[in-house]
Amino acid sequence: MAKTRLAGTILFILALAIFLFSMENVSAADVNNGFSYIFGKIQDAQLQPVEGVEVSLVSGVNSNLETLSSALTQADGSYAIKVPLLVPKQARLNFSRHHFQQKIVSIPPEDLTQLQLGNSVSFPLVTLEREITPAFWIAALIFVIVLVLIATGFLHNTLAAFAGASVLLAISYLGSPFFPDLYIFNFPQAITYIDWNVIFLIMGMMMVIAVVENTGIFHWLSYHAYRISGGKMIILLPVLMLITGISSAFLDNVTTMLLMTPITVQIALALNISPLILLIPEVFASNVIGVSTLIGTPTNILIGSFGNITFNDFLTNLTPGVFLAFLGLVIYSWLTYRKELTEEKPGSPLLLKKLEERGKITNPENLKKAGWIGVGMMLLFIFGEKVDLLPSVTALIGASALLIWIRPDIDEMIGAVDWTTLVFFMSLFIVVGAIQEVGLISAIATMIGELIGLNLILAMIVVTWFSAILSMVIANIPFTAAMLPVIAYLTLIIPGAESKVLFYCLSIGAAMGGNGSLIGASANMITAGIAERAGYKITYKYFMKKGFPALVITVSLALLWLFIRF
Amino acid sequence: MSGILCAIRGGPSSRPTIATSIKLAQETGEIIYFLYVVNLDFLTHSSSSKTNHISQELHDMGEFILLSAQEQASEAGTQAEGVIREGRVVEEIIAYCEDQSPLYVILGQPEEEGEDNLLSLERLQTFADRIKKACQAQVIFSSEKDISQEED
Repeated sequence: MAKTRLAGTILFILALAIFLFSMENVSAADVNNGFSYIFGKIQDAQLQPVEGVEVSLVSGVNSNLETLSSALTQADGSYAIKVPLLVPKQARLNFSRHHFQQKIVSIPPEDLTQLQLGNSVSFPLVTLEREITPAFWIAALIFVIVLVLIATGFLHNTLAAFAGASVLLAISYLGSPFFPDLYIFNFPQAITYIDWNVIFLIMGMMMVIAVVENTGIFHWLSYHAYRISGGKMIILLPVLMLITGISSAFLDNVTTMLLMTPITVQIALALNISPLILLIPEVFASNVIGVSTLIGTPTNILIGSFGNITFNDFLTNLTPGVFLAFLGLVIYSWLTYRKELTEEKPGSPLLLKKLEERGKITNPENLKKAGWIGVGMMLLFIFGEKVDLLPSVTALIGASALLIWIRPDIDEMIGAVDWTTLVFFMSLFIVVGAIQEVGLISAIATMIGELIGLNLILAMIVVTWFSAILSMVIANIPFTAAMLPVIAYLTLIIPGAESKVLFYCLSIGAAMGGNGSLIGASANMITAGIAERAGYKITYKYFMKKGFPALVITVSLALLWLFIRF
Repeated sequence: MSGILCAIRGGPSSRPTIATSIKLAQETGEIIYFLYVVNLDFLTHSSSSKTNHISQELHDMGEFILLSAQEQASEAGTQAEGVIREGRVVEEIIAYCEDQSPLYVILGQPEEEGEDNLLSLERLQTFADRIKKACQAQVIFSSEKDISQEED
């Protein structure tokens, strides 16, 4: 409770700060018809617009520049600089920004003439080159430390990311007055890296999930899976995998496994088999089918928001491939556990009776309401794109409607929101924003771009497998967040990639890669934690032995689909 | 003072403990109290808001594990009850001993260093001493060997 309050307070302070700073930063275009303007755009070497460049109209020699007028570039890299009535003949444009090399460009004589006549001119596109400063290395080091802290579990994920963000800002504010090269970014810049669409989408979905998970639907589904299969393991396994997978496509994987694992253990005990035979394929299915929708995994939410990929885009471009991968996974699971699945063991009548008792919907009224709201949300997710309805808005509408209709204890519902996770995401966005700000992401993008060249097939293979292998060892959420600008760059330069296929490759790799190792996904760790509490330990070695082939099969099949589709 | 306390967590590692307690119950005629402790420590790194709900799910899972053990005891003609507590395993066993004062406490014994078990061999004796101090119960160690020898 105390943790929730603390996280809530931090969130509130952040939100307030954002509001205050955004008020300060509102700079309406200074429209003054009495002056002429120089319009233009600035991009970086990755062809991305550069925001916050100070563009100054200067005169004089380099050592003694006199600023006549200045302006900052907007998010799209554009600027409009007001030109005084009398323009000196030697006037030039000076472009300067932290982490970029300063550039001074002369104004062509014909443009100068136009300006002196009071006409506005459009300046050619300017490309700024990156400058590697100590801040570059500091931001990179902090990012790596945060990744290591998360991977080793030395600090709580949220604490690691929050501390990382704080250190970055502390260095910028406390270090740069003495050593200007330590400047990374200021607070207003840092918070522009937070993707609020992601934050509110996760928050809204958490409220909806909180209602659904208390209805007994998982117990009901699992018991009926047992009934449908008639206790035949060869049928029960894929049915449970499908239930877990489809749940993961709409709820997050961790919640799904938190709910499914204890129930699966009960089914296994009742049938007198090892729960691992069911649990391992279930968690694989959760990681695989979870990527079939925009809301299925946090990585998809990040990808969808950054790449402007809609719910429908995921459904049409990724879902068939995911189900192809799932089919492969079912066959693989049958083969892996064929001996245990075909063994005839008598179940426990007492436990089976208990299973039946528990396999009931505990709150049918709420489930009915949640079902209707869920259908409404699906329709909004699917058709909302026609009116540019953001997924976060749909999630908030759905959550509010559900809360108003059900009228639960509001404190309980707010408590059901995992504020710790939301603070983690916000802090992580800032940490990843820092390496973006200093140019590390650009450097990686350029390197990968040079390595891959302009070959789309090669790019698809590299992005998918690179993401899958890395997701086995590092947390896939920070990895995906860091990879997004890289993918955006590759999408821009590689012919044919404008279909956003590389974002789907990232989605597949980052999520299905989690099956390769126990630490590859939070859902794996949760499953292992609960299984151990039932006396069935899932070791790293055991998980990798079963999981790595599953990774190879599912990623290959999903990639095959992308080759066919694109 | 009465009864046999047998703390279990399910799975293969609990089989010798359950078998030892059943054998002892057959010899003494005491009731077995199977204890399952819900421990949510693994949730510290994620999903803190779901603790209440998951606690209930793990209680349900624990109940199944206990029922399974009770079923075995019943088949062997002994009487057994299930008890669920929440917290840290070692502390909850001690707390139960203080509350209920069992006559016997059965503890699982690791076969070799590094084997998955509640306690290492070194700590097991210290733990047994704590139990004796808490309730004067007789502590009995069980191991897989006992069971296999019996089966032979």
